[in-house]
Amino acid sequence: MPRGLSQRVQEALAAYLFLLPFTLSLLVFFGYAFVRAIYFSFTDYNMFDPPNWVGLSNYINIFRETRFLIALRNSIGFSLIVTICQTAFALMLAVVLNNKIKGIALFRTAYYMPSVASSVVVTLIFLWAFQRTGVFNYVIELFMRYWPFLVAFLALTAVFQLLQVFWDRSRGRPVRWLEPGALLTSFMLAVVGVAALWGTGTVSAIEVEPVRTVWLNTRRTIPEGWGWFSLPLPLISIMMLNTWTTAPTFMLLYLAGLQDIPRELYEAAAVDGANRWQQFRYVTVPQLKHVTFLVMALGIIGTLQMFDQVAIIGSAAPLDSTITLAYYVYSNVFPGGALPRVGIASAAAMILAVLTLIAVLIQRRVVEDNG
Amino acid sequence: MADARTGATAPQAAAVHPASQPTPVEMEKQKAAARRAWARAALVYVLLLVFSLFFMGPFLFATLSSFKDDPIEWPPRLDPPQLKPANWVAAWRLGKAGGGSGWFGAFAPGAEVPFEVTYFVPDGIEPQAPIVRVPRRLPGAGIGAVRPGAFAADYAIVSEVVETARQPAEVAGVSGQLVTYAFTIRHNGEPVVADRLPLDLEVQLRQTFYSATLAPNRIERLGRVQSWNNVAPGVIPYVFYNYTRVFQENYSRTTGKNLFLTWIGNSFFIAGVKVLTHLIIASMTGYALARLRFPGRNALFMLILFSMMIPGQVTFISNYLVLRDGIFGLSKLWGQETLLNSFTGIILSGLCGGSAVFIMKQFFESLPRELEESARIDGAGPATIYTRIVLPLARPALGAVAILTFQGVWNEFFWPLIVLTTPQDKFTLTVGLLNLRQAYGAVALDWGPLLAGAFISAVPVIIIFLVFQRYFVEGISFTGIKG
Repeated sequence: MPRGLSQRVQEALAAYLFLLPFTLSLLVFFGYAFVRAIYFSFTDYNMFDPPNWVGLSNYINIFRETRFLIALRNSIGFSLIVTICQTAFALMLAVVLNNKIKGIALFRTAYYMPSVASSVVVTLIFLWAFQRTGVFNYVIELFMRYWPFLVAFLALTAVFQLLQVFWDRSRGRPVRWLEPGALLTSFMLAVVGVAALWGTGTVSAIEVEPVRTVWLNTRRTIPEGWGWFSLPLPLISIMMLNTWTTAPTFMLLYLAGLQDIPRELYEAAAVDGANRWQQFRYVTVPQLKHVTFLVMALGIIGTLQMFDQVAIIGSAAPLDSTITLAYYVYSNVFPGGALPRVGIASAAAMILAVLTLIAVLIQRRVVEDNG
Repeated sequence: MADARTGATAPQAAAVHPASQPTPVEMEKQKAAARRAWARAALVYVLLLVFSLFFMGPFLFATLSSFKDDPIEWPPRLDPPQLKPANWVAAWRLGKAGGGSGWFGAFAPGAEVPFEVTYFVPDGIEPQAPIVRVPRRLPGAGIGAVRPGAFAADYAIVSEVVETARQPAEVAGVSGQLVTYAFTIRHNGEPVVADRLPLDLEVQLRQTFYSATLAPNRIERLGRVQSWNNVAPGVIPYVFYNYTRVFQENYSRTTGKNLFLTWIGNSFFIAGVKVLTHLIIASMTGYALARLRFPGRNALFMLILFSMMIPGQVTFISNYLVLRDGIFGLSKLWGQETLLNSFTGIILSGLCGGSAVFIMKQFFESLPRELEESARIDGAGPATIYTRIVLPLARPALGAVAILTFQGVWNEFFWPLIVLTTPQDKFTLTVGLLNLRQAYGAVALDWGPLLAGAFISAVPVIIIFLVFQRYFVEGISFTGIKG
């Protein structure tokens, strides 16, 4: 360090040295790239000849392209539904896992498995499970065949539970409708009951046709015939996949948040006579506001960029039923055979970026107002 | 639901209380509370198990199915023959008989493979010896159909089929007899080793397969034809048939290099280097952001946040061009015209990610300042403080960065897909898997090798996750706090 410089200057110099490698790579591979993407979106460019300035025409033409509109619709629908589902699911899992019982760490590990493996691996497994003779159809078939047992089980549980609760209350014991001890007994009795019904032949499996639903290579939409609002079945399959893989990561964030909520809040709520649902609604949810914002922001950013699944599924599903903005951008830059349309691709990428920023801002508002 | 944890801790609370002589009514109440808590814990366990099945089930079943001959068989079974010890023993014996080792079989000169098969023949049908064929069969469709090496069919001599036993039996309510036939397959002595010995047996209709020295891989044509992929397999090619296919069938057509192994190596190399660059750069940047005062600090912070929100699809076009031109021609300094299809390119374009910086910054902010203050009073500059005092304390955060970076780079798909396109031996494992998916999926999806490949590529991250779980969880909650 040269002498005579004030400590402040010295510190700033040291800071810049520390920051040099990261800042350089950030400027080249993000800053420069971002500015260039904006520039490209106003040009006609194929990566070989120099770009031609065309003004706003990319942004106008792109909205006349059906494939882009489909990709836009798919991306927005996918992002909205998956973000909401995975946030709710993650919160539910976290509340269940936030128990101080033995072996809870083991379960946490198990739940986290889908988020550890790469999207490529997970998508391959998903492709396999969603074949016509895949496991997913088989599970559905099992369910269709044995649902009478399930219904009988649930009905018997309810009956036994009611009986126990009435019995206990008639003897003056203060029990809840879902009293855990009684519920456990009801489950066991219901199992015995179902076995008895099966033995006497009252309940039996239903003969069903083999389930051969085509999940991916299909043009079916759900709901059928709602125009732009009906989403392709393959995309809905990917939604299920994505919710399954990302919910556990967000569950960890919620778990960290749950552990920071002071116990006193619950105690105070209990004193005020709040039941468990009210405690959840008026203590847990507001206290997790910031986690919810983070989870939803990460969810939106992640889902809007969905690319890997589309690329891996590839020819196993019609392109229009899975294409997202991210894949649209990629396929215009590397169209395989044709000339790249970098201008159009950049315009689509900018729309994707703006969409991300708007979504994050809007939901920040919503979370902050509704806390 | 929210007070589930309160309930679960109640047993201890109930156990601690009864110090001051309780009344019978109180005791009754405490007992009830304890019972309620235990019941609730039991219910929570049931719920946890159901969820575990939901999250782990697909993985476990995919792993199980990766051993099967047909991973999309209907109905899916839980007990493929490949996982039965009796077949392992048979595979070992047959592998040795074929002239290979017990682990890896072969069909080599001097081989004499004995084989027995038993059929059930219902009453009224005259048993017939099966027709034995050693077919010229390829391992699979797509890439599996391109196969080098010798066909065992050209060197195999099948002995006469002899009936060795006959006994009355009843199978599924039908009476008849079990008839056993035996034969051997010899190598004709030409100095050629075939790696596999496929076998087909054909019998008359209604004479059904009962058992054999090794369980067949397929039974076709209404039960008339039984096929084996390899009747001199050795344990590993038998049990891990799909796995050996992944390694054997994926080799470079130009250099002969084993592609799948190369991809694994590439992924490890790139992930290893990137973990190092992330550790160094993220800790330096994080420290500066957390502790040093300098003009532009907030602007830089906002830029990093912004960069994390912008999708990679916005920046990849320019980055692709930058790499194509060798980072403004800089790469010519070390003799590379372009950085496309080069590991240098993919490493330089992703030296350090924003979230790694956040983890480090977050950690350094949580350290007490006193240590650094006292060092500063002793006259140490920022560089000394950073290397001597701060860095040694940062092990947990560095661990989190290392693990999360490894996982991220190992699983990365979009950017390697763009940068590493030719030749095939430059691929990372994820891009390689896409290649497998196209190679095996071109005709009809050949699921065995695909699932096997997926499993192999998931193993390293899963092991690392299991060993360093704590860092994973910490890292994720670290990134979480920043919001």
